[in-house]
Amino acid sequence: MAFALQATGITKHFPGVLANDHVSFTLEKGEIHALLGENGAGKSTLMNILYGLYQPDEGEIMIDSQPRRIDTPHDAISLGIGMVHQHFMLVPPLTVTENIMLGQESIQASSRVLGKLAVLNRRSVTERIYELSQQYGLEVDPEAVVQDLPVGAQQRVEIIKALYRAADILILDEPTAVLTPQEADELFIIMRNLVNQGKSIIFITHKLREVFAVADRISVMRAGQVVGTVKPSEATQEMLAEMMVGRKVILQIDKADAHPGEVVLSIDGLQVMDDRRHMAVDGVSLAVRAGEILGVAGVQGNGQTELVEALTGLRHPLEGRVTILGHDTTRATPRQIIEVGIAHVPEDRQKHGLVLSFSVRDNLVLCTYYQSPFAQGIELNFPVIENFAEELVHTFDIRTPSLETNVGSLSGGNQQKVIVARELARQVKLLVANQPTRGLDVGSIEFIHRRIVDARDKGAAVLLVSAELDEIMSLSDRIAVMYKGRILDTLEGKSAAREQLGLLMAGVTKEVAHV
Amino acid sequence: MSNAPVAAERPTSSFRISLLRLWDAFKMPALAILSAFILGGIVILITSGKPLTVLQAYFGLVQGAFLNQRAFSETLVKTTPYILLSLGVGVGFKTGLFNIGVEGQFYIGAVSAAWVGVLFPGLPAIIHLPLALLAGVIGGAIWAAIPGYLKARTGAHEVISTMMMNYIAFRLQEYIVTWLLKDPSAGLVQSPPVAKAAEVWTLYQIPVRLQDPLNALGVALVFAIIALLIARWALGTPRLREQVETAGQRRIVYLVVGVLVFLITFFGLPAFTRVWWPFTDPYDRMHIGLFIALAVSVGVWWLLWKTTLGFEMRTVGANPSAARYAGVSITRNIMVAMALSGALAGLAGAVEVLGVTTCRCVQVSFISGYGWDSIGISLLAKNNPFGIIAASFLWGAMGNGADFMELNSGVSKYIISLLQGLVLLFVAAPAIVRWIFRIRAERRPEEEVPLTHWEVK
Repeated sequence: MAFALQATGITKHFPGVLANDHVSFTLEKGEIHALLGENGAGKSTLMNILYGLYQPDEGEIMIDSQPRRIDTPHDAISLGIGMVHQHFMLVPPLTVTENIMLGQESIQASSRVLGKLAVLNRRSVTERIYELSQQYGLEVDPEAVVQDLPVGAQQRVEIIKALYRAADILILDEPTAVLTPQEADELFIIMRNLVNQGKSIIFITHKLREVFAVADRISVMRAGQVVGTVKPSEATQEMLAEMMVGRKVILQIDKADAHPGEVVLSIDGLQVMDDRRHMAVDGVSLAVRAGEILGVAGVQGNGQTELVEALTGLRHPLEGRVTILGHDTTRATPRQIIEVGIAHVPEDRQKHGLVLSFSVRDNLVLCTYYQSPFAQGIELNFPVIENFAEELVHTFDIRTPSLETNVGSLSGGNQQKVIVARELARQVKLLVANQPTRGLDVGSIEFIHRRIVDARDKGAAVLLVSAELDEIMSLSDRIAVMYKGRILDTLEGKSAAREQLGLLMAGVTKEVAHV
Repeated sequence: MSNAPVAAERPTSSFRISLLRLWDAFKMPALAILSAFILGGIVILITSGKPLTVLQAYFGLVQGAFLNQRAFSETLVKTTPYILLSLGVGVGFKTGLFNIGVEGQFYIGAVSAAWVGVLFPGLPAIIHLPLALLAGVIGGAIWAAIPGYLKARTGAHEVISTMMMNYIAFRLQEYIVTWLLKDPSAGLVQSPPVAKAAEVWTLYQIPVRLQDPLNALGVALVFAIIALLIARWALGTPRLREQVETAGQRRIVYLVVGVLVFLITFFGLPAFTRVWWPFTDPYDRMHIGLFIALAVSVGVWWLLWKTTLGFEMRTVGANPSAARYAGVSITRNIMVAMALSGALAGLAGAVEVLGVTTCRCVQVSFISGYGWDSIGISLLAKNNPFGIIAASFLWGAMGNGADFMELNSGVSKYIISLLQGLVLLFVAAPAIVRWIFRIRAERRPEEEVPLTHWEVK
């Protein structure tokens, strides 16, 4: 068996962290090798080493069975390694052609006056892009401006960019995070095409479903080590999850049927502008009842953020009405809304949800510090606050060295637990959770999902906004799909099919689909 | 890479953590000061060419700051306005506001206090002195509240507006002293001296002042209030909270402590100071303003870390987005913080004019420069009220020792500005100090001066 890439005994220390601990990893020619692991497991470190961004402390890398040193990304590119980052490295105002030739500009015969600063040879690059897109089924218009392209197309540009630089080994870092399920399926077809024509792909992900759809082999990383490499035919989702987390994990949360009560939140014809004065939420009407979870599905950037901000008082709506338990909160302040009984798990935990330089203790009373018994008059009652924080740290299993520790030094999962603990500690009538588990490890996700269902069972109305379809499907009693600021349809959670939701997320409604 | 999955598991006692924090807080400033003095020594060595001069200069500095006659007192006299002004700057910083207008607020405080000090002849000191100080506080607060309001309502950046307000304050002070409050009998353009009753007492005056029973009453009241506050704090500590449980018991403790301290000071202190009093030098300018400044430091610390208002202000300063999310009003806190910042600066001006100036008046050329230094002091102290006391003392000592250093070694006294500048440079660029002393960058994010929302309205 010929190996495209072999990494042996790679070890990488960061101050206080062993990010890669004698990791060995092989990539066969013409295979898709999925690298699965939680955040912080060491996947990115390993890939950054292969791409020359980090130097390993120990270990050896062989490309095509030749030992190689990769000191810079430039070395990696010249060895035929291409990387598609999770966050695209494209220049939005430039065209596809310009983006692809950037850094490797080809030049028409050098001019007499300007010497090397000659006219760019766009045409030959464009031709090459056509060839590549034909060869691998990467549909893209070389003349299009990148910022006008949908996300899926931008990703294809990134792949072509790597291929243009003669990459034989492609590293795709969480490529499906920004895609709808249909776009992801298209990507998988492209990946198949690529390996069929001799390329080799390292596919980094934390989504279990995807590795079964596309991978030839699966390696699982945990705490800096490769804990195992398996074939998809020999593995199950449960088994992989257990390898990732190190213990048994309940993937499908089991919840009782919902018993919806009175309407808690009702939104009527809401219109909200975003910061650039575009209509981000364009006439949304929804109702959430006590004891049910309404999931709002949709690809990121379709107005979910603005919708939640308008509900929680952080952004003033242009038109429409928001009513929470009979109170008109359309133009209420965040504090008034909090006092009505809303709990809000914000989308960006570090920007909105926490004060990173404050202690765990202070963050746990961030919204209620001024209320009795936490405050007596204008003085904070620290013994009471400390007992309260102690209890929450215990019940929500927040792993922190002490209550005085800055929240900023906790892991993402524990930071999120601080927010969830704080928000659910109040009398919650309505829980608004926006991307509550983004970037978290499987263990924390499981915990937070359990808490959200518990809140529902205690009679709270829950509005769950998420771009992770799996999350929406496993938690929601009803699912509303948001696309370009509108709710396209609302489906029953139990009967909703992934394909149907995926089409809606891409803006394809039933009427259109039938035409 | 996120941090280690296992590194954060070990439980640590909170006492150990507070010790470590204390060390963390003092390590970098201390090393910055040390580096500045070493580098300053090298500069002196290069310019003078003689190693001995370096020693002479630094010994002169120490002698002039602490050892000469009245030197220590003078150092403390200089320390006092630094403390109050730096507290003002620090309160602003903590709320994410860069109040560089403390110099102007200082002038306004001084003029307001002088005016009230002149305005009501015949009032007893127990009323007149607090009234004059209060005038300074209110003057400074209003002066700073104007840019605070502009920022909260229109988004006008406080760096620009407070700086502009400085010039207005300076000219306004000139105008007032020249036209409205001019002392006709004085040869210079200056306000009339404030009433004796409005003066901030020097330590030398205390035995005489206390012979007036009204003054003794005032002092006794202040002592009783301080005693009550200490008693309140002591009853809050875990050990005493268990022993004194009921509200009734607590009330008895307060009553006993308050009355006892009041009676002892009211009757005992005047008699005692007449018999024995260490401050017998009439030219010693040391005054009770220092104690006011120390008490205010404790008050600011309490406000920032123990009250809901302080919690709000610090939240707004550390993360305005999270503050909004939590329902904290950013505009309100900006205005409150600016007013408070100005109030502290105004108090500094009042104390200076009522207690330090030779004429106990505002002269037209009254320029302090304290306000500018205080921005640096606050930075050095990382806006911590107790750090501010220490840093102000350092600045006061250096400023006070400079003249004698020049006399002793021939090194220009302006080398002090260089030293102070170097200290701030090293504080502002901790990477340099880390590099010199090979300290690894801290992984724990510190509660730092948050000037993050320059663009936030």
